[in-house]
Amino acid sequence: MDFDFSDDQTQLREAVNKWVGKGYDFERRRSIVRAGGFSREAYAELAELGLCGLYIPEAHGGMGMGPVEGMVAMEELGRGLVLEPLAHALIAGAVINAWAPEAVKKAWLPPIAAGQALVVLAHQERAARYRLDLCATLATEHKEGTWLISGSKSVVPAGDLADAFVVPAMANGRQALFLVERTAPGVSTRGYVTQDGSRAAELQLSKAEATLISMDGLAALEHSVDIGLAAACAEAVGVMDATLAITVDYMNQRKQFGVAISSFQALRHRVADIKMQLELARSMSYYASLKLQERAPERRAAMARAKYQVGQSMRFVGQQAVQLHGGIGVTDEYIVSHCFKKLTQLEITFGDSIHHLGEVSAQMQDTAGVFA
Amino acid sequence: MDLAFTSEEQHFREDIRAWVLANLPADISHKVHHALRLSKDDMQRWARILGQKGWLGHGWPKAFGGPGWNAVQKHLFEEECALAGAPRVVPFGPVMVAPVIMAFGNAEQQQRFLPGIASGEVWWSQGYSEPGSGSDLASLRCKAERQGKHYIVNGQKTWTTLGQYGDWIFCLVRTSSEGKPQTGISFLLIDMKSPGVTVRPIVLLDGEAEVNEVWFENVEVPAENLIGEENKGWTYAKHLLSHERTNIADVNRAKRELERLKRIAKAEGVYDDPRFRDEIAKLEVDVVALEMLVLRVLSAEKTGKNSLDIAGLLKIRGSELQQRYTELMMLAAGPFSLPFMAEAMDAGWQGDQVHGGLGGLGGFPGGALHCAPLASTYFNMRKTTIYGGSNEVQRNIVAQTVLG
Repeated sequence: MDFDFSDDQTQLREAVNKWVGKGYDFERRRSIVRAGGFSREAYAELAELGLCGLYIPEAHGGMGMGPVEGMVAMEELGRGLVLEPLAHALIAGAVINAWAPEAVKKAWLPPIAAGQALVVLAHQERAARYRLDLCATLATEHKEGTWLISGSKSVVPAGDLADAFVVPAMANGRQALFLVERTAPGVSTRGYVTQDGSRAAELQLSKAEATLISMDGLAALEHSVDIGLAAACAEAVGVMDATLAITVDYMNQRKQFGVAISSFQALRHRVADIKMQLELARSMSYYASLKLQERAPERRAAMARAKYQVGQSMRFVGQQAVQLHGGIGVTDEYIVSHCFKKLTQLEITFGDSIHHLGEVSAQMQDTAGVFA
Repeated sequence: MDLAFTSEEQHFREDIRAWVLANLPADISHKVHHALRLSKDDMQRWARILGQKGWLGHGWPKAFGGPGWNAVQKHLFEEECALAGAPRVVPFGPVMVAPVIMAFGNAEQQQRFLPGIASGEVWWSQGYSEPGSGSDLASLRCKAERQGKHYIVNGQKTWTTLGQYGDWIFCLVRTSSEGKPQTGISFLLIDMKSPGVTVRPIVLLDGEAEVNEVWFENVEVPAENLIGEENKGWTYAKHLLSHERTNIADVNRAKRELERLKRIAKAEGVYDDPRFRDEIAKLEVDVVALEMLVLRVLSAEKTGKNSLDIAGLLKIRGSELQQRYTELMMLAAGPFSLPFMAEAMDAGWQGDQVHGGLGGLGGFPGGALHCAPLASTYFNMRKTTIYGGSNEVQRNIVAQTVLG
C-alpha cells in the first residue's frame, strides 16, 4: 500500500504540466474553441510528449506505460482544460492492443502512438443512453475479414476530424467491436461543438467497410469505457484542482465590506467543503486507476464507485466555484465558467452520477470497503 | 503506487487476526456486533488482555514498552480489532495522556504512570471542556493555585467521558490570567479519589450516562503531578491532538457497521427496495472513499511526508459517516426502532417474564430484538460531529490550510 509516485511518473507529470502551462494557455484554448474545438496541431504536441502512445507497447511505437501514468497525464491535461480527446487515444491504444488481431495492431498502433492517426470510440446511440449492452448498429460479413456496418453514433469526440472510429455493432446477434476509417465509403459525419467548447460529431454509417477488432464486443466495449472512466476521473481531479486554486486566488483578492471575501466564515466553510469533495474525488480517482487492471467484474464495480463519487464532487465543486465568484463567475470572459462547463460535461461523459449509483446499487455485495 | 498491502503487512495482519480471534472474549464481541450495552468490566477486561500482550499502548514506541509499529501496522491492528468486534480502546490513558507523559513528563512521572496505563489497570479520564469553554477551550477557568508543595484546584470540568469509572484525570487548568488565554494553562494529573472531587453523571438523549460533570473543590494536588512547565499546558494539549489522526476517522468500524447495515436492511425487507438500497449504495461509496483517504494519509505517514492538508478532513468525514450508518439502520427498522426498552439492550435479555418472555408478548415488539438499540445508537452518535473539535471548527482549520 503506497501512494507515492515514482520518479518517472513525477517527470511525466512535470513535462505535461509544463506543456499545459506554456503551450496551452487560456488564450490558445479560446482560439481553438473559436476555430471549432479541436486543434490537430495541439494534438500533435500531445503525441510529441508521448501521451498518445502511453498505453501502447514499445514494440508498436508506444511508451508501454500503465494506468497510473495515464492518470497523471489526464490530471495535468484537466488542469489546463485541454480540449483534445487524449482519453480516446488511451482507449484506442489499449483496446486495439488487448483485443485486435495482430494485423490490426501492426497497422494502427504505431500511427496512433505517433499522433498521425486519431482514433476515437464511437459507441453512443440515441436509445442506449449509458447502457453498453444496447446496440442497434448492424454489421454483416462482406468478404473474408471485411464487414459492412450500418447505423448511427452520436456525440463522437472530434468525430468529423478523426481518422478512424472504434465502433460496436451487432454481428450475427452478438455485439462485436470494429474499426471504421472515416474516409471509407458510406461514412458521413456532421461536426459541432459541445458545451465545454470541445468538438464532437454525429456519425452515420451506411454499409461502411469495417475491420473486426473482436467478436467479444461487449467485453471489449466495457474495457474501453472503463479506461475512459478512469481517464475522466483523473481529468476531473485536474480540473477541480485548477478550479479551487482559481477560486482561492479570487477570494483572497476580491474585497467587499472593506475586507477580502476569504475572511467570511460562511464562504470559508464552503471552501472546506470544496476541499473535501476534491480530496474524496482524488482518492477515488486513484482507486479507479489502481483497479483498472483487475478482472472485469471487480474493475466494473470500482469504476462505478469512482465515477459516482467523482461525479458528485464535480457538480459540487463546479457549482460552488461559480457561486463563490459571484457575477464574474457566470461570464464567458472569465475562466471559472469554463471550468464549470468542463466539469459538467465530464460528469455526463461515460455515465452520470445517477447512472453509476444504479450500477453500485446493482452490484453491491455483503462486504464493504476498498478491499472487498 | 500500489493499492495492495505488502506481503509483510499481510502477514502482520494475519498474525493480528489470529491473535484477536484467540483472545477476544466471545461475549464481548457479541455485544459489539449487536450494539448491546458494554459494562465497565467488558471494557476493562479487553484492555487488560491487550495490556498483557503489550498492545494496549499499541501506538507506543519500543522505548516505552510499546510494539513500535509504524502507521500502517497500527492501522492494520485497529482494523483487525474493529472487524472482529473488539470494543474501542478507551483512549484517554493509552492514546491521549500517555504520549504527553512520554514527550513532556519527567522520568519519575513516566515510571509512575505509564505502567498502569499500559496494563489497563488504571482508568484515565479527560478534563478539558468546561461549561463555558467548548470550542473556545483556551477560555477555560478551572483554576490551580500553587501553595507550597501543592496546587489547590477549584472549578468544574464537563463532558468527561466515562469519568464515573475514572481513577485519574488529566486536566487543563488555569495557572495564570496574564497574557493570551493560551499561555496561562497548565497540564495537571489529578487523582480522582482526592478529597474535594465530585463526579456527577449526565444522562444523555439515549438515556445512558456516558459523560459526567466533575467538580473540584479545594482539591490538593501534589506539585509533582504537573506535566512539564507551568503555563505550557496548551502546547502539550496540541501535541496530543496531533496523535492518531487517522484513527479518528474510524473507517474500520464504518466498514463493519456498513456490513451490519446490509444485514439489518435484509432482515427488515428494505434491501431490495430501490430507494432504500440506493441510500446504502451511496454509503458504500462514501466508505470506500473515506478508506482511500485514510490509506493516503497512512502512506504519507509511512514515508514521513506531510499530509496535514487532508488529515484535517478525516474527522469531518468519518463522523458524518458514523452518523449516516446509524441513521440508516434506524430507518431500516422503521416502526420497530421506536420502542425504547433500555433492558433489551443488555445481552441475554429474556424479555418480560410476566408477559411470556421473549417468545411471547414479553419480547421486543414484533419479535425484532435486533432493532432494540438502533434508535439509541443513532441518537448517541450525534456527539461525533460535536466532540473532538466540532465539525464547524474542523472546517475552519481546513479552510485555513486552503485559503491561508
